[in-house]
Amino acid sequence: MIEFRGVSKTYPGSSRPVVNDLSFEVFDGEICVLVGPSGCGKTTSMRMVNRLIEPSAGEILIDGEPNTAMSGTKLRRHIGYAIQQIGLFPHRTIADNIATVPQLLEWDKGRISARVEELLNLVGLDPDQYRDRYPAELSGGQQQRVGVARALAADPPVMLMDEPFGAVDPINRHRLQDEFLRIQGEIKKTIIFVTHDIDEAIKMGDRIAILQEGGILAQYDTPENILASPNSEFVSSFVGADRVLKRLSLLRVSDVELGPPNGDGLPRLSERMNLKDALSELIGAGVERGSVVSDKDAVRGTLSIETIQRLSHGAEQARGE
Amino acid sequence: MNSLLEVFQRPDFLSQLVVHVELSVVALLIGVAIALPAAIAVSRSPLASTIVINIANTGRAVPSLAILALVFPLLGFGFAPSLVALVLLAIPPILINASTGLMQVSPQVIDAARGMGLSDGQILGRIKLPIAAPVIFAGIRTSAVQVVASATLATFIGGGGLGELIVLGFQRNDLAIQIGGSLTVAMLAIITEVSFGALERTFTPKGLRIARKHRGK
Ligand SMILES: Nc1ncnc2c1ncn2[C@@H]1O[C@H](COP(=O)(O)OP(=O)(O)OP(=O)(O)O)[C@@H](O)[C@H]1O
Ligand SMILES: [Mg+2]
Repeated sequence: MIEFRGVSKTYPGSSRPVVNDLSFEVFDGEICVLVGPSGCGKTTSMRMVNRLIEPSAGEILIDGEPNTAMSGTKLRRHIGYAIQQIGLFPHRTIADNIATVPQLLEWDKGRISARVEELLNLVGLDPDQYRDRYPAELSGGQQQRVGVARALAADPPVMLMDEPFGAVDPINRHRLQDEFLRIQGEIKKTIIFVTHDIDEAIKMGDRIAILQEGGILAQYDTPENILASPNSEFVSSFVGADRVLKRLSLLRVSDVELGPPNGDGLPRLSERMNLKDALSELIGAGVERGSVVSDKDAVRGTLSIETIQRLSHGAEQARGE
Repeated sequence: MNSLLEVFQRPDFLSQLVVHVELSVVALLIGVAIALPAAIAVSRSPLASTIVINIANTGRAVPSLAILALVFPLLGFGFAPSLVALVLLAIPPILINASTGLMQVSPQVIDAARGMGLSDGQILGRIKLPIAAPVIFAGIRTSAVQVVASATLATFIGGGGLGELIVLGFQRNDLAIQIGGSLTVAMLAIITEVSFGALERTFTPKGLRIARKHRGK
């Protein structure tokens, strides 16, 4: 667990804090997304965890221990860090890039090369093809995967990821996000993930910390709760006017109580679809209800626009309370 | 032609050649030993690096002969003063290139290295120096060629070297000796250029060669 306790940062020569009395906890095995407008102190907050920046006040605990208990370099070898601009070492092969921290920790050669192979597979790069290449021979998206693999190399329990998919086009970004969520499902790291994209935050976060100008924590909660009940004007405008639809995108068709299977001729909806897409399908087809089917085409029941409406209305009511 | 061969067989030819090479090699080694650590020392501050580069650039503009003329009244006559003058000549190109090369290492790459727990020493030895190596070696090559050529002037302050022969040729009005000495200096300079070029290629990490090629596309 990572715990921020009253953490503030004022850069030398400036009178205003860029991170202001930040207190929240990141739970084990969860992805905590720091999101907010440019310059609100996300990177600064993240870099205080591995002490690339020292706070002006407050402290950060990792598993109950202040992160100042060991030297900065030692601490950083046990925290995975993927910087926004990737920063692969141009003079080293992909394998050597990934092996950076294991080499620092003096793992033996066999263990390192097995680990490199495992990680390349994990991030979807064929080891035989990519191991001995150099960064210049990879596309931006491939480099970003290597950056993530490099951060994961020594199997650190805690990971810091600063806009790790920022340099990738939208289509590949969605793919990388999905892949990463799949990987996280297996490895269950405690992750602080920075983005300025609220959609990415909603998709990736188990919890979201929304920061506003001046490094003030505006709201810290699960994506569902933030979308259902933003606690301020700032948060509700930051998540956007379409927050009801965004919230629907968090629910799968299979999460909803369906009506009984009903008749033919209805458009088919996969049970793995999210509700936002399902709603879009129904509106597009100009019908009131659709037939929900499993991957194997077994009919599960019917989903009506009315049901979806009731679910979103529930969210509105919850907010009004 | 026969007389040129005679020049190469003179006993003082070989001894002056040895002195010439000695002067050059020692001056270059001392130059590297001063300029490289100096460049490393200032490399953490872009401002200091820029100042050093500017000073070195100014130093570079001073003609070799002027440096000799400055050293003579201060240190006198002989091998050691010549060596000092050549060291002064050797330093600027190495200093300029090493500072520039180290400054050019991408800050993101350094940040990533620091973020993964490399110490300052490891960042220098494993990241900055290898990445800057080609530029640093280019500086050493420039410096070496310049030192080899300028060592010819050492004769004016009693440093010896192949310049001695050339001056002797002038005094005796012996064209063979003049040409023999000049040709040898030229050969030395070319050999230096070529072998340092090879060294530079050897020390350019493969990944950087590939990166350069990709950028060139
Ligand atoms: N080294 C520094 N010295 C002084 N001010 C700084 C320094 N680094 C960042 N700042 C300032 O602190 C504020 C927060 O910066 P930070 O990089 O944490 O923002 P961010 O939320 O990560 O922004 P972005 O989304 O643009 O990356 C900004 O106003 C920035 O100008
Ligand atoms: Mg940032």
